[in-house]
Amino acid sequence: MILYRGEVYDNSSQDELLDKLPTDLYTPISEGRKLDVSTVIDACDQLARRVMAGDFSEITDPFIEAFNISSEQFNDMARMFTREKLEYKCSIELTDDTKVIDGSFTRERYPLGVLLHIAAGNVDVLPAYSVVEGLLAGNINILKLPMGDSGLSVRLLTELIKAQPSISDFVYVFDVPSTDTENIKRLADLSDAVVVWGGDMAVRAARTMANTNTKIISWGHKLSFAYVYPDCSDEDLRLLAESICVTNQLLCSSCQGIFVATDSKEEQTSVAGRFFSCLKEANSRLGSVSYGMRAKNAITIYNERLESDDTGHEIISEDGVSVIISDDSSLELSYLYRNVWVKRLPFDKTGELKKYKDYLQTAAVLTSDKETFARTARRLGDVGVVRITSAGKMSRMNSGEAHDGMYALRAYSRIVETEILG
Amino acid sequence: MGFTTRLFSYKDIYDTEGSQELFVQAMKENCIHHYGNCEGYREILDKFSFDPKAISSFDDVVKIPFIPTLYLKHHDLQSVPKRKQLIKATSSGTSGRMSRVSLDMKTITDGARMVINVGRYHKLWSIKPVNYIIFGYQPTKSNQTAVSKTALGFTFFAPAAGRTFALENTSSGYKLSWDRVLKAMEKASKSKLPMRTIGFPAYTYFLLRDMKAKGIKYKMPKGSMVTLGGGWKQFYTEKVEKEDFYSLVKEVLDIDEDHIVEFFGAVEHPILYTDCKCHHFHVPVYSRVVIRDPDTFLPLPDGQPGLVNLMTPMMHATPVTSIMTDDLGVLHSEECPCGAKSPWLEIIGRVGIGDIVTCAAGADEYLKGGKS
Repeated sequence: MILYRGEVYDNSSQDELLDKLPTDLYTPISEGRKLDVSTVIDACDQLARRVMAGDFSEITDPFIEAFNISSEQFNDMARMFTREKLEYKCSIELTDDTKVIDGSFTRERYPLGVLLHIAAGNVDVLPAYSVVEGLLAGNINILKLPMGDSGLSVRLLTELIKAQPSISDFVYVFDVPSTDTENIKRLADLSDAVVVWGGDMAVRAARTMANTNTKIISWGHKLSFAYVYPDCSDEDLRLLAESICVTNQLLCSSCQGIFVATDSKEEQTSVAGRFFSCLKEANSRLGSVSYGMRAKNAITIYNERLESDDTGHEIISEDGVSVIISDDSSLELSYLYRNVWVKRLPFDKTGELKKYKDYLQTAAVLTSDKETFARTARRLGDVGVVRITSAGKMSRMNSGEAHDGMYALRAYSRIVETEILG
Repeated sequence: MGFTTRLFSYKDIYDTEGSQELFVQAMKENCIHHYGNCEGYREILDKFSFDPKAISSFDDVVKIPFIPTLYLKHHDLQSVPKRKQLIKATSSGTSGRMSRVSLDMKTITDGARMVINVGRYHKLWSIKPVNYIIFGYQPTKSNQTAVSKTALGFTFFAPAAGRTFALENTSSGYKLSWDRVLKAMEKASKSKLPMRTIGFPAYTYFLLRDMKAKGIKYKMPKGSMVTLGGGWKQFYTEKVEKEDFYSLVKEVLDIDEDHIVEFFGAVEHPILYTDCKCHHFHVPVYSRVVIRDPDTFLPLPDGQPGLVNLMTPMMHATPVTSIMTDDLGVLHSEECPCGAKSPWLEIIGRVGIGDIVTCAAGADEYLKGGKS
């Protein structure tokens, strides 16, 4: 499906529309039309309220089921798009006040211009969300749909345009496959920046496709972990296990594994054992993962056991969830779906995390001592972690919060300085 | 003659019951051979305290520790010296890494017996030359994938009047040559000799769908066949109902359903599964399938979906006696109108895919609701 100036077209019109795009795309700019933030907020607010009222249950229900989230959690997500939340977000991220500097020039925020969004397919609402952020900063947005898009993005964006028709020539959606590099290059050439969501491969591909005068803004895959002191409470471990089960370790902010703040194998094994009981309990309380995933887990854990003589890993597993105890201290992706690694990393070695640079995102710090929490949080911030939370808050969403340590709306803006003629 | 060779010479290829005792003996023979000649395999069996010499019944065969295909992607297990590994095949590496499996002379001769017997049962042999159109890779020295080799292998069922490959090896890598395929099709439709296509079901489907959209239709000579192999791989979501596929073949190539043959096999389990006239993959005597519960690995009754564990004594150079695939499947034991007595295997999806596209009747509910 294609969305072009508010109209939905079949994919068969794609070539024709791509040819027309260079003439139409810059129309708002050449006509001096700006997108007012309040217009975008108003459209989002209307849509969010309808979503919460169940107007789109035929698409939101499968989403809720697929991600195994409660309707309360879902409403929290939808609430992020209400007027109140978006106004707050903009007040933090956008510095819209025009400043007069030394009485001789003005300093003002402008949108970057045109953004090409290349979104990952793992979260259905993400492509539309990325476009909304582009709109809030006042940009014209081109969205390249991810493979296997369910049609949700076009649906949501169409509704947004219905609510505020002036948005229509600020949104374009194309269904160009990732392999069609020629057309993606064409789209990138027309854009001021490529906003890419996804793993290293996606980011690398975007870099090779964009010219040097096209910015790359990447929201790449991140790794998050828990930093656990042996003095932490069982309640903390329980909350951590619960957040792992709720997100199935799929989000950038989901905990992949646990670093135990110790040099001692004994303490590591003890934390692993305590955590495993919590994981097993949370798994049975929240219901196990889908059959296909359970089957994958079963093979993966079996394979780990076969390899354990070589790897030295110790595996604790039951009911399709596992804890893998290992002697190295590298930060890595887990097997996902409730399989958690447990490694040792004493506080004085936390500097080793620096090497992961931009991969680092969230760390939960589990300790019963507030001072230790503060000291650890500072250290983790120094090495590159951008969110430090308590056990159960790793994947919380706060309005106005930065993405991976950056304000998206600022990244989608530029500053223009204009001299005041005397 | 060893038990394995006797099994591969067994004439009634779907006589599971009659061949059971021989199968058990052949598995024992194969397992003992690998245990004695492959250190990595011995370590695995020892880890499970499994003694291959103690195999005396099919229940014991089920207990042979299986090796996941995942493991083979990281470990090179071989039971014969390098000079005896005459053919090396690698899996096509859908998700990156590849399994390495090798064939020695014994495996090749046993395999040839199987191909002759299966080809005879399914009437694939023909002395009349045919024009082959292969929707796959042109094999080269550097392309070791089993898919390219088996595709070429299938062109020996009938003498080749010509072979056209859709993926042509050029100086800049493999290139899809659509025009060449269409030209070859047009030429074949005017020939007196039958045509046979060979290739991935998904590629074949995409080509035919494209031809239909462009209004291209041919009337292929009598005796022409569409043969499919390699599975649907990453195209599960595009999986079409078989009925739609057959009617597309009829519409675009004028080939009847009974001349569409699908093969199933894996590099780690190179047994030639061929679908019957009801399009069921009956398990041939050379192989056994155990469907296992992912939570316990215990065998499940027929009709229930689970992990697909494949067993065969065929492979002498690589210890793939019992392998665990990444597939989910169902073994059906209900009577099949084609007359073959052995159960048939239906692959319903791959592990790790949240939404399994299932065609197994009743399986859907089972998958969603777990074991309750």
